[in-house]
Amino acid sequence: MKRMILATLALWIAASAYAESPQELLARIDAGRYIPDLSFVLQMTSFDGEKQLDSNTLWGFVKGLGGENKSLIAFAEPASVRGRKMLMDGNIVYLLFPKTTNPIRLSPLQILMGEASNGDVVRTGFAQDYDVVSLEDTQRSGTACYLFSLAVKESRRDATYKKVQLWVQKESLRAVYAEFSTGDRLLKQATYSDFRNALDRDIPFAVDIHDGENPQKHTVMTYLKLGRKTVADTVFRRDYLQSWTPEQPK
Amino acid sequence: MKRILCPAVLSVLAVLALPAAVWAWDAQALLDLVPTAALVQQGPAWMQTEFTEVSGQAALSHNQTLAEGLSVSGTAWGMADTLPSGTPLATPPGKIDIESRILELKLIWEVVPGTLIWDIGKKVIHPSSGFFKTPLNVISHGALGDAANLSGAAVGMWEEGWVGTDVTLLVGNLSISNFFSPRLQWSSQTDTALQYVSLQQNDFQNLTRMDVRIGEADVRFLGLLSTGGPGSGDPGVHLLLGAGLDTNIGASITVRAEISAADSQSRLTVADAQYATASTDTVNWAPHALVGATWTNAQQLSVMAEYYYNGCGFMGADYAQLIQYSQNRRNTYPTAPDLLDQFGDFDAGRHYGFVRVSGKIDDKLTAAGWTQVNLQDLSGLTGIVLTFTYDKWSLNGSFMDAWGTADTEGGLSPLLWKVDLEISLFL
Repeated sequence: MKRMILATLALWIAASAYAESPQELLARIDAGRYIPDLSFVLQMTSFDGEKQLDSNTLWGFVKGLGGENKSLIAFAEPASVRGRKMLMDGNIVYLLFPKTTNPIRLSPLQILMGEASNGDVVRTGFAQDYDVVSLEDTQRSGTACYLFSLAVKESRRDATYKKVQLWVQKESLRAVYAEFSTGDRLLKQATYSDFRNALDRDIPFAVDIHDGENPQKHTVMTYLKLGRKTVADTVFRRDYLQSWTPEQPK
Repeated sequence: MKRILCPAVLSVLAVLALPAAVWAWDAQALLDLVPTAALVQQGPAWMQTEFTEVSGQAALSHNQTLAEGLSVSGTAWGMADTLPSGTPLATPPGKIDIESRILELKLIWEVVPGTLIWDIGKKVIHPSSGFFKTPLNVISHGALGDAANLSGAAVGMWEEGWVGTDVTLLVGNLSISNFFSPRLQWSSQTDTALQYVSLQQNDFQNLTRMDVRIGEADVRFLGLLSTGGPGSGDPGVHLLLGAGLDTNIGASITVRAEISAADSQSRLTVADAQYATASTDTVNWAPHALVGATWTNAQQLSVMAEYYYNGCGFMGADYAQLIQYSQNRRNTYPTAPDLLDQFGDFDAGRHYGFVRVSGKIDDKLTAAGWTQVNLQDLSGLTGIVLTFTYDKWSLNGSFMDAWGTADTEGGLSPLLWKVDLEISLFL
């Protein structure tokens, strides 16, 4: 009897050791789409209903994920914004206009207003920035999905989105839909699509982001080109912006 | 009229001949119509006159990667103007004045990528974050062109840089830069041609900057060692020191503060207000300081407020004398030097305030209203700007009005009001 109890206990311990917690599952989902040292050409087209409002083409590169994320972005099109460069370092954002030499600081709310805020949605590191509050099984568009309810970690209280609801396809572990909110106010709804294998990762090449308060307003972000570029950390400094000559990914 | 095919244009053609661009060409053309009402001196009297200045400006910029870590970038600018003097009494001899410059042209080499950057050529250096005044833009030629800058900003759209060499070291949260700009002078014959390309540099300048990120704040220090200052004939070596801070407060406010002071700065002061005579004196370590904040709300409304302290400006009895001097200058002694404008427009007093409210009316249309106030006599300038932007062009309409009683800086300004209708093309 004593031997049986010990064997059962050993099995339970082993099973516990190998079972994946919701947080670990979330980290695996992040890892599936995360490309370190990503360089990209991205098109952002915003709509009010069916009407296209504007379209920007951005070149840039990203290092890190979530709160550790740093992005350098150059505006390539349209001509009226060409030459603008932006550095996003967590919540701190600098914008350099082509005819000026001193990057100006933008407040988080200014960023939230602009199209660049949609970048937050793309670069969110779910496991890094959020704790799993609950995990349920659900269906979305007839496909079995996990539904994660996420709350921002204590260490990331300054993050724009305090809560996230995330739908992930069970079979492929693709994040297909997410709702980002302040807690009581829905800010963004993101639908991830056009999944392609790029740089050994399963990447959604299109993300359709709807405004939480006015869902008619939405922005479609489409990767036109992806690559890898390893750069020094100091490149993501305000003082580097002026020297930076943007290049398309190779 | 000056020659149209000037060396600046040739330089642009030379840049065009470079291999295919990695980064697209960037060009902007601007047509300005500026109806203005101003007081103009005719004989012994000043009369209100309305006139319209028409100007066209164009700038062509390019960034070119030559090899990994090596790039060249430049901007050439040209302008045709019917009234460069800003007064209808001084029209250019050929009806149109042509001006051009190479604003920037520099070779950038990342000796250690992202860490050690060396550039050589011509560049503009503006470390200041101020909008209304810029105490840290200690080497600046000022805005080029006479087209109205009616946004209330201290920095114009185009400015000529300085020829020199700059080394920047980026380590961790610290960056250190040193820009050295030598004296560059040439004969008057050479200047006849080179005036379309570059200004002479009468002084050497060595500007050292240190920027450090502390938490969420950017802190910067600078020191400038130079002879007399831009355009001066003073051979003595002078020191100017400055410091600045930028940070965020919460999610909706950005804050900036900066200060600079020079070991000596000469200025004109009133010798006799009644007879409008002036003399020169020197002020040592007079600070120029700016404190400002920008608040943005979720409805896309942005409010900016800045306070500027001009240590070289006048106050108290000196300021009263300056006003009396300026009244007598206008009424009786029109050839006496203009002491109100000696530091630039609306900069004669010690204390100034600036407020700007801007917002998006719809996706294409933005509006802004601003006012700058001399806090000593409560006079100033007020402007409104409407901007309609499409992908390749924008239409800008603005209006500026100077206000104040006859014994104030605003009231004594020859400018009464100014309208600007501007079409920009982006290519």
